[in-house]
Amino acid sequence: MRLLLALLVFVSAAPAMAQELATSAVLANAVEQVIRPGFTDLRNEAHGLADAMGGLCAEPSAEAQALAQDRFARTAAAYGRVEFIRIGPLMEDNRSDRLLFWPDRKGIALRQVQAILADADATATALETLRGKSVAVQGLNALEFVLFGTGAETLAGSEGRFRCAYGSAIAQNVAGIADALAAAWYAPDGVAAHLMAPEASYADYRTETEALEALVGLISHGVEGLRDTRINPFIAQGDKPAAPRQALFWRSGLTMAMAGANVEGLEQLFTVSRMALVGGAAESGLDNSVRFEFANAKRAIGLVTAPVEQAVADPKQAQALAYLVIVTQSLQVLVGEQLSAALGLSVGFSSLDGD
Amino acid sequence: MWQRRAFLKAAGAGFAASLLPRQVLALERNELVFATSVQTSAGKYGAVLLGERGDVISQIALPDRGHDITISAEAGRGVVFARQPGTFAVVFDPAGREAPVTLTSVEGRHFFGHGVFSPDGRLLYATESDFEAAKGVIGIYDATDGYKRVGEFPTYGTGPHEMLLMPDGVTFVVANGGIETHPDYGRAELNLDTMDPSVAFIDRRDGHLVGQLRLESGLHQLSIRHMAIDARNRVWFGCQYKGAPSDSPQLVGYATADGEIRLIELPGDTLRDLRNYVGSVAVSADGGTVAVSSPEGDLLVAIDAEGRRPVLVETLRNGCGLAADGSGFVATSGMGEMIGIAGAERDRQKFDFSFDNHVLRVG
Repeated sequence: MRLLLALLVFVSAAPAMAQELATSAVLANAVEQVIRPGFTDLRNEAHGLADAMGGLCAEPSAEAQALAQDRFARTAAAYGRVEFIRIGPLMEDNRSDRLLFWPDRKGIALRQVQAILADADATATALETLRGKSVAVQGLNALEFVLFGTGAETLAGSEGRFRCAYGSAIAQNVAGIADALAAAWYAPDGVAAHLMAPEASYADYRTETEALEALVGLISHGVEGLRDTRINPFIAQGDKPAAPRQALFWRSGLTMAMAGANVEGLEQLFTVSRMALVGGAAESGLDNSVRFEFANAKRAIGLVTAPVEQAVADPKQAQALAYLVIVTQSLQVLVGEQLSAALGLSVGFSSLDGD
Repeated sequence: MWQRRAFLKAAGAGFAASLLPRQVLALERNELVFATSVQTSAGKYGAVLLGERGDVISQIALPDRGHDITISAEAGRGVVFARQPGTFAVVFDPAGREAPVTLTSVEGRHFFGHGVFSPDGRLLYATESDFEAAKGVIGIYDATDGYKRVGEFPTYGTGPHEMLLMPDGVTFVVANGGIETHPDYGRAELNLDTMDPSVAFIDRRDGHLVGQLRLESGLHQLSIRHMAIDARNRVWFGCQYKGAPSDSPQLVGYATADGEIRLIELPGDTLRDLRNYVGSVAVSADGGTVAVSSPEGDLLVAIDAEGRRPVLVETLRNGCGLAADGSGFVATSGMGEMIGIAGAERDRQKFDFSFDNHVLRVG
């Protein structure tokens, strides 16, 4: 009889156990299946870009330039999928700014990059000396100007030798930073270990709750950053006209590819980690709601098919951009407020807001 | 201390009459009154007057998230400022006799969440941003003329946050956090590589710079944000570090109008648990104890101002708001809790709203 009772208890408890996910599983999923592979991918793409730039400089041609441009697009997208992981290694050594100096409201990068090109500043063509320069001239937006900006056509011939050498140094710098990021995420006693198995003595993550808060915060702040720094600055709003040249990567036509990569990375972290299935949050229905909004975001981005200068002038595409803003607002509330509350976290309220 | 009788006097004879019976009861039960911005469980924003026993005496709705509150007995008004970068400030009558009035930031400016009244209550000052120029200003509003904006002074820095009026009644002290933001980019921080935080002493009468203090240049990413003044007129400040997370600079210090600025040495484990983030600073009623909070590290620290060393460390999940209470402090949290520390005798209370970063003892 006792055995039967025990069996009954076990059977009746099984469905609930199957639904609930432990926080530790979410943390491991995030690190092992999303963050580490994401930074590995960035490292691989960045090395492909560095190789392509090296090839272009060694034997300039239109084909080699097209290959370098393609490698740039792939590297940018790889970074777009992880750039919101603003914890640990990306926040050390100004890596985030060195990889992508953005927002750049005053056009600092453009001014400084143009000065380097105009002066043929040889110190910008060697990795060591480039690293010592302004963060604005050593990352992806600087390289975008080199590859796609005014004068980029010279890269296909010998006239573009200096420009190419500078671009190659940038690509090497990006690859070096990507190496450091991947290495840090794979270090046995580094941020990954702390995030997956927090301890009270750690300076970064003392408890699983804090670690989960950090992950949920990445998504909430990631969608906020996408909206505030990648979409809002260039779309028309109220009396403010559209300003497509305020868009990231408008020269290369990668503005929306970058936004798409952001959404892809954010969605991956959310779905693969299964963060909305921890404890009581599993019953909230938020997992479905958030997935639904990510799908809406991807659909909106897919509707913007023209370069941003044309897209903002096309009613349908402008509407899709406006809708994307609404979706990011919804995602921020769903994740930063509702999911956070369902998980018993404090993301987005008194902490992490710089107040 | 603005205790109940003084509160009634300051609020005017009509106060009690204007309240609902439940609120009158709440007021009568309380000796101390606190004001704070909140978010309700339904996600709405507001500001509340709270009795020391946790009774909600009155509340107003806000169009968006509020931040700090300042109250002037002389003006008979309180003002809650929008969280930065915000475009509104709501002037309210603590007595509830008149409807709140919403001020909107003028073209080219937005609020930074903090402000003070002049000692006579005739002028209201608010930290604001001239965001095109990336320069901080103090907006000046005439409380006797519908809070019309009548001018501004520079803060001599970027990203001003908290401002206080020194006990001399004529000198402002402003924490220039050093961080540039622009409404086109939401809350994105635009100049982390070139930040230049400072503490500025500014003459209230004409806006001239009395003195400006900076920490050593290696600490240029240490954003000075919140302050409180101790019994010796030292301005204690708490910082938020925007550099590499593995750095762990000291976060608490003081500045004086005589030109001294220094960080105090907090022990390694306390510093670690502050997580490079101090969310608010308060001084005890006797001016001898300073409290700082870290909602990121869930930590509250009380510091002996004379000895410049911690005398108490307490944890409070997402705790940030601090106000003098008895011989100690009341502390509030984003999880809706209110506790007493360092000598304040009160039971832990739980509310069905989240407290914003600051709580003001009214008076």
